Amino acid sequence: MSKKTRVQMFLLDNLIWLIVIGFFLLNAIITPHFATYNNIVNIFYHSSIMSMLILGQGLILIIGRLDLSIESTLAFAPGVAMLLVTQWLPGGAGPVSAIILTLAVGALVGLFNGYCIGKIGVNPFLQTLSMLIMLRGLVLFLVPFSIFPLHDVYTYAGKARIFGNIPVAIPITIAIFIIFHFVIQYTPFGRFFMATGGNPKASFISGINTTRIVMYAFMLSGLLAAVAGLLYAGRQGSVNNSMGDGMVLLAFAGAILGGASLEGGKGTPMGMLGGGILLGMISNSLNLLGVGVTLVYATKGALIFVAIVLDRIKVKLRNHLMQKEQLEKILHQSKGDGESFSPSS
Amino acid sequence: MWEKKGKIVLGLYGISKVYPGTVALHDVNLEIEKGVVHGIIGKNGAGKTTLVGIIAGIISPTKGEIVIEDRHYTHLSCIKARQENISIVPQEPQLMLDLSVAENLFIPNYHLASKGRRIHWDEMYIKAENILKQAGLGLNSRAQAGELSISDRQLVLVVKACYVEQARIIILDEVSASLTQKDEKLLYRIIEERKREGKTILFISHRTDELLEICDRVTVLRDGRSVTTVSCDTLNMEKLSSLIVGEEFRFQRICNEIAACDQREKETVLEVQNLTKLGAFQNISFTLKDKEVLGIAGLRGSGRTEIFRSIMGIEPLDEGLIKLKGKKVRFASPADALKKGLAFLPEDRESEGIISSLSVRENLVLSALKKITRIFCIHKQTEKDMITHLIHSLDIKISSAEQEVSQLSGGNKQKVVVGRIVANQPRVYILDEPTRGIDIAAKESVLKIIREQLSQTGGIILTSPGLEDLLLVCDRILVLYRGRLVAEMRRENFSETTLFNAVQGGTEPNQVAGVASN
Ligand SMILES: Nc1ncnc2c1ncn2[C@@H]1O[C@H](COP(=O)(O)OP(=O)(O)OP(=O)(O)O)[C@@H](O)[C@H]1O
Ligand SMILES: [Mg+2]
Repeated sequence: MSKKTRVQMFLLDNLIWLIVIGFFLLNAIITPHFATYNNIVNIFYHSSIMSMLILGQGLILIIGRLDLSIESTLAFAPGVAMLLVTQWLPGGAGPVSAIILTLAVGALVGLFNGYCIGKIGVNPFLQTLSMLIMLRGLVLFLVPFSIFPLHDVYTYAGKARIFGNIPVAIPITIAIFIIFHFVIQYTPFGRFFMATGGNPKASFISGINTTRIVMYAFMLSGLLAAVAGLLYAGRQGSVNNSMGDGMVLLAFAGAILGGASLEGGKGTPMGMLGGGILLGMISNSLNLLGVGVTLVYATKGALIFVAIVLDRIKVKLRNHLMQKEQLEKILHQSKGDGESFSPSS
Repeated sequence: MWEKKGKIVLGLYGISKVYPGTVALHDVNLEIEKGVVHGIIGKNGAGKTTLVGIIAGIISPTKGEIVIEDRHYTHLSCIKARQENISIVPQEPQLMLDLSVAENLFIPNYHLASKGRRIHWDEMYIKAENILKQAGLGLNSRAQAGELSISDRQLVLVVKACYVEQARIIILDEVSASLTQKDEKLLYRIIEERKREGKTILFISHRTDELLEICDRVTVLRDGRSVTTVSCDTLNMEKLSSLIVGEEFRFQRICNEIAACDQREKETVLEVQNLTKLGAFQNISFTLKDKEVLGIAGLRGSGRTEIFRSIMGIEPLDEGLIKLKGKKVRFASPADALKKGLAFLPEDRESEGIISSLSVRENLVLSALKKITRIFCIHKQTEKDMITHLIHSLDIKISSAEQEVSQLSGGNKQKVVVGRIVANQPRVYILDEPTRGIDIAAKESVLKIIREQLSQTGGIILTSPGLEDLLLVCDRILVLYRGRLVAEMRRENFSETTLFNAVQGGTEPNQVAGVASN
């Protein structure tokens, strides 16, 4: 493969980051106050919650299923945890236990989904749809008003700032993405994820415990939704019952922008981070440009569409590139042979 | 070019096909006469499927011209090919598994069995029944396609192309690879009959003997170029094999020298007693010694695949006892079995073997990840060494190890699945037709690997589409007939005719070494 083709292929593989950079440069020129230090930090800060959901959804898409319930888990996990430490547990508990409880509740919700889908064989769409509605209903019932004030330790991840005014949420998000990227790309566990999504039957027969992989994936997505809930509650300084409402569809969009596919077996966490940042930048720039909230929503919808089209174009482009490369090679050979081979099309 | 005798129905001139990463066909010329059976042969990845795909309008060529009678095309579409009365039975049998046999036969030509716009279901079943009977296939037209064996599925597609679609040019891509001997006969009869009616048949196969028997002419492809087209009268097996491989080809009777060693001394690794699954098999008992190659011979539907799947825990057993090294076990899933040292190669590579969205590299090491993992991480260099070795020893034709498996030719996919099992090195290999769809040269090397490498590390249970392979490599052969073990033969008294009769159900007890205890 020639150097040029290799570079082109590399860029195609990281298309989402190209778009992120392109979009950034465009806005740096046309949008006032966009390319300032504070605004950039702001974009990252505001993307962090969505990015957690995107990563959770992305993991599920990799194994070829889908999870609608993450946005309800986002509210349910901190809600139940706070109620436990403030009201239900005799004597209460400290903020650290509250954080642990939040994560545990998220993971348990995910595990329950995973159990029903992997072991019992419930359709993932129906299972998570019912959880989406049920958990939201429970949150509305249990948390009629918002719960506040929250302890400083509990809000640390979502609110605190460290070196040079950087919100702690940003390094946390990046660290989580790096860990997941590493696991998916470099460990057997990650390979099992990709294989299970690619062909569940063949994976099962080749000796992968696919049931367990499905359960792990849903547990992780529940856990990540709980992390998102922790960041959300921390930023607001309270837990309320409408947290996360309507975020799940955008999480799909972000994951697909980041390279996941509804058929399963595709996508990388780093790509999904790109998807999250792109979504964040879009709402930020539209805000700065003074576009109304409803229109921002519509724009994101249009973006989902673009994402799907882009995915197809990417495949086509890659094939085209390799084909061109091959034709050049033949041309080269044929000249040597003295034959003629003129590539048409 | 050869001298022309008959009328040319189909001509391909200067056809090239370039895929991303590979040149599948390069400047191929081919003329096919009316009313002949025209064979196409070549090594895995030589471009056979691509060539017939172009004729059937599934693949569009990069360059070249297709002439059908006197109509010229640069490419055909599926619809155009249908209008030209060309039908294809593709390499991987693709039926709608949830639909009935009858519906599969008539889809999408429902008008053949309907009145006006309404589908006339009863009539469709009756018609299908008649067609199946005419073809000599004893299938129920109302049966669900998903319940059929691979062999039956393949035949249903052949019947569809030959009798329902009434095609003028019929393309059969490696159909005999998944047929058992009885079905082969049926296929040959169907082909003969079609030929008599003046239809033209393109027949792809890896078996030189079969090709020489039923074809009038053979085209040999090598590395995407057509090497030659010759009349079958002038050929013999050695000559044809040499043409395919491109050099002097000698059948190395690899295993003839194997001493029929005494199995009694070796340790028993796997023992099964009275395995029963109602409707599939009854009272299956056998033992597998360490370093032994045990063949299971049987017709389609005799229960080979079902036995394997039940042992591996893919499907439940009704009754029976499985002992691994003397310890009683029952596997809950293939993952469980693999952990205890049993690896399984499924019969249906397309849906149960390969993971097509992953690369060749990822597929090859999938079952052996534990071996190449250092502190939670996959060790890149070890992985690379492992796959380089596998690709080399199995001679897998790929453009790079990062290529998606879905882009490989059928035989190379099969090699990838075999490679995966080889990499794992379990104690017990359960191989369901490992040589299916593999070319002559590679088949020798796979059999050799089984005999010389695998049998050093564990016991092997093996089935094969033809009996020759079993006779070649096995120490012992068990014969399965209608779900029961009816005979057992040891290497010292192997005989092709006895085995053949036993497989057909006509056991002659005095010729068989020992009848397995029931
Ligand atoms: N979609 C594809 N993309 C890239 N390469 C492809 C694709 N389909 C086939 N090829 C390549 O084209 C070559 C010819 O493949 P083809 O399927 O025609 O082989 P074949 O002669 O039918 O082999 P087999 O005997 O194994 O079935 C192979 O090297 C294969 O890897
Ligand atoms: Mg083929």
